[in-house]
Amino acid sequence: MKALDPAGLTGIDGLIRCEDYDRNALGEHLTELTHTVYPHAEVYGKFCTIHAHIECPPELVFSYMRDPYSLLEWTYSVRKLRPAGADGLLVGVDSGNTPIYVRTRSNEQALTVDYHCAWDQGSELWMVYLNRIVPAEIVLKRPGSVVLWTNCHHPYYDRNPFPELNQDAERAWVGDWWPLFFAGHTLELRNLKAILEHRFRRGQELGPRVVESA
Amino acid sequence: MTTVSLLGVASYLPEHVVENDFFGAAASQRKGMFGAPTTRRHVARDEQAAAMIERAAQKLVTELDLEPARDIDGIFTNVALPDQAFTGCGAEVAHRLGARPRWVLDLHNTGCVSFIYMLALARMFLQTSELRGVLLCNVQNAAGRVFSQPELAQLPQAPVPGDGCGVGYVAASAVSPLLSLVQRCNPPFAGDMQAIADDGRRYWEPGLRPIALQFTERRVAAIIERGNAVVPELVSEACRAAGVRPTELDLLVTNQPNRIFLRNWCEALELPREKHHDTFDRYGNLFGAALPINIVDALEQQKLVAGNLLGLGGFSHAGDYAAAAVLRWGAGVPRP
Repeated sequence: MKALDPAGLTGIDGLIRCEDYDRNALGEHLTELTHTVYPHAEVYGKFCTIHAHIECPPELVFSYMRDPYSLLEWTYSVRKLRPAGADGLLVGVDSGNTPIYVRTRSNEQALTVDYHCAWDQGSELWMVYLNRIVPAEIVLKRPGSVVLWTNCHHPYYDRNPFPELNQDAERAWVGDWWPLFFAGHTLELRNLKAILEHRFRRGQELGPRVVESA
Repeated sequence: MTTVSLLGVASYLPEHVVENDFFGAAASQRKGMFGAPTTRRHVARDEQAAAMIERAAQKLVTELDLEPARDIDGIFTNVALPDQAFTGCGAEVAHRLGARPRWVLDLHNTGCVSFIYMLALARMFLQTSELRGVLLCNVQNAAGRVFSQPELAQLPQAPVPGDGCGVGYVAASAVSPLLSLVQRCNPPFAGDMQAIADDGRRYWEPGLRPIALQFTERRVAAIIERGNAVVPELVSEACRAAGVRPTELDLLVTNQPNRIFLRNWCEALELPREKHHDTFDRYGNLFGAALPINIVDALEQQKLVAGNLLGLGGFSHAGDYAAAAVLRWGAGVPRP
């Protein structure tokens, strides 16, 4: 058994632990925090996390997602990806003709696949799509995978840090769409789920099915 | 179908105002479900429910110029803690008012939402029988009768309830029409509120420990979730049935279990706080009497005026009953 060093938490304010808050006192905090409805901005304003269950084994979902060319299939508008530099950096187009740079960081043991992206330039990849794949057997006691996808509201979403790189005066900034990220990402996650389930159910190669093009 | 109107409301609040220090030093510091009102009323030891109803009803009789022997032929009551075991107080109310009711119903269920439930019953009686007018009577007296007991006053929930009486008069009329009414029974929540003593005795068994009301602890989260959701659900449903959106309500009046539910219902219906009228800070949790008392209060403060679309809503106990209604208010302001 391990016990707490009595001085270990001294000076840290605001902790809610059973030694200082009995069930009634805890109940006060819990009920104050529990609303019936929550404004969209309160839920999705700083962090946007979505999740889905996919009827496809976790290692296969991981293999598909870690291949950055799968983005050509399941994202709404990332297209024309090609190598653009060191360390797996790719460039393609997004939202019409905006250059989007992507570097994929994955960890097979943790089943994480993170897409580090940016519009217009590839030196500071600040649009980060964090994905974790969890075996559904463990968390839902059913076959398949749970995909957890989080974006954090980076300050560049509020202001384009490199406006001089923008070639299109009519273009809306990616961050202007932040209030619609829940919806937009949900649609893309549904794409991912549909593609993987369609191919897995039929015993097909999961892909991505991409061909070289000029 | 005959249109039915809530033609008037009146209230009576016991004189005895109880401050938070009565419940110990911690009372005013609590938050959440047991966040205390600033004040509440307690009934006196010998203050009978029937007498409280009489006092409120006399105001209505005067206001509406009713002849009780002629105009009140239905009396429906809901009393939190009945004056007597076994019998309800409706017949006693009739006696005190000089009414000659053909129908008396002393409701044992639907507690905090019984005003709307009785409104539904009144409409049914008025549309299908010869009844002329029904007096709806709500009494909350559990604050003084239960939570003023010295052993119970220290409980975290003790400062929340407050006593009061509200009455309404319903008749076939188009003056202040009931546009829609929905009500629901949720059987799985039926057993989650108990009157028990901490020595485990039944309330009818002799003993020294006082009886208190409490919820099944392992079900508290489910009760809170249900309470949060069910009132907005039913108010929305009543609005749909009346052909209006909840945001079109000029005023919403509900039961008032605590500030958390009031906040959450209002948020869920996207109503500005001032359109949801309550008296929680003055009177505490008035159980079933909250609805008529709050309508009276809104009228006195001119927050409810003729022509307004009035929404009513609430749930009872641990969520076993819930109801909501929409009315086009057309009745007058009761004289104090």
